[in-house]
Amino acid sequence: MNLAIVLVVAAVVALGIMLRLAITRSLQAKRTAGLTAAIHPIDVEAFRNLINPAEDDYLRRRLPAKQFRVVRRERLRAMATYVHMVGRNAAVLASLGQSALAGGDPRVAAAAQQLVNDALLLRRNAAVALARIYLALAWPSSGFAAMRVVDGYEQLSGTAMLLGRLQNPAVPIRLSALL
Amino acid sequence: MLPIVASGAIVRNYVMLQPHSLLWHYLWVAPCVILAFLALLMWRRGLHREFPAFFSYAIVEPVGVGLLYVLDVSPVSPTIYWRSSFSFLVVEAFIKLVVIGEVFTHLLRRYPSLGRIAKVTISSVGIILVFTATTIAAYANPTHFWLISATRILGRSVSVVQCGLILFLFLFASHFHLSWARSVFGIAFGFGISACVFLAHWALMADWLLGQKSYLLDFFNMAAYHVCVLIWSYYLLVPQKSATTSAVSLPENSLAIWNRELERLLQQ
Repeated sequence: MNLAIVLVVAAVVALGIMLRLAITRSLQAKRTAGLTAAIHPIDVEAFRNLINPAEDDYLRRRLPAKQFRVVRRERLRAMATYVHMVGRNAAVLASLGQSALAGGDPRVAAAAQQLVNDALLLRRNAAVALARIYLALAWPSSGFAAMRVVDGYEQLSGTAMLLGRLQNPAVPIRLSALL
Repeated sequence: MLPIVASGAIVRNYVMLQPHSLLWHYLWVAPCVILAFLALLMWRRGLHREFPAFFSYAIVEPVGVGLLYVLDVSPVSPTIYWRSSFSFLVVEAFIKLVVIGEVFTHLLRRYPSLGRIAKVTISSVGIILVFTATTIAAYANPTHFWLISATRILGRSVSVVQCGLILFLFLFASHFHLSWARSVFGIAFGFGISACVFLAHWALMADWLLGQKSYLLDFFNMAAYHVCVLIWSYYLLVPQKSATTSAVSLPENSLAIWNRELERLLQQ
């Protein structure tokens, strides 16, 4: 009897989740215009410093083991906040890219497809990195590398800029001037 | 004391919720007819090439359920009915799993970068669900009539796997903000609702919790399935409203911030 009740509750919860996701999907389809406001700027350089293994090694050498673990946990929490934000931005960019896919211009469509692919790859890497960060929080002395997330984010920014340039050629992009 | 009209309505409702009532016949037959009609329209519109697994389901399901209906209303022995029911459940489970695979393939078609992780995760989830379903089946309460017990336990185990897979599908799409094609979403949504309702139905049936009143669950189950068939018909046959989509552009400020960060990186 207990098993039946557990399964019925599981079925109701699953149905509730599916209905909620279905409603969210239909609402998101109408809210594409406001998505750009959801992108949060991220200081890539600060994140790069945070995940630099040399800094961890330095702290490990200079601090007592107990204090190092405390500091390392603080750094990991900050890292998790960054990665979480990167993942959210990637999701927003994926949605924007999918909206841009509907456009008629083949160059814009190609750039949008590239943006979607990069954004999804980054979202996947961010999820994996988050899992590893939370694992590292349990064992702060263990090594950890999140460089793939940084590299992915840089690549994604480049693709987003390309798409923006194709869609709005009038908007001045400083990188193009630099190159 | 209830007024005559009200008590008459109560009696009528009570009669309608009995097996072999008019409502019972309607809820059993109508979804099959609608689904068969949907298969016909899918064929006419060429949708059978796009969704071959769902098209097969739309043909096999009315045939199988129709056969069970005929067996139920005709004077055959219960053994023949339950053997047929068990066999059909096996076939139905296989086709439903193929349809879920088809939905997953359609969903991921536009996202090659997710292909590998999607295959790995759905395989892992599938293995976990089969293991869970097997474990749940091991804790079943069999009765003296093993064929009914076997059918209900199999139905419960299959529902666990199907419900879990479809839930995973929705969560996966939601996590990566994947856009569903209208028809693919309709198929998945209908299957999701039916899988959840079937899971609850089979869970209660397998443990014989309602005893002789278990036919009341059949009404709920059949009504939910009727709704699912209507959902499939709506999403597959009613064309999407052509929304005027303006070109989406990325905000200037966001681009500038990223540009600055990239400049700094390039200058290192």
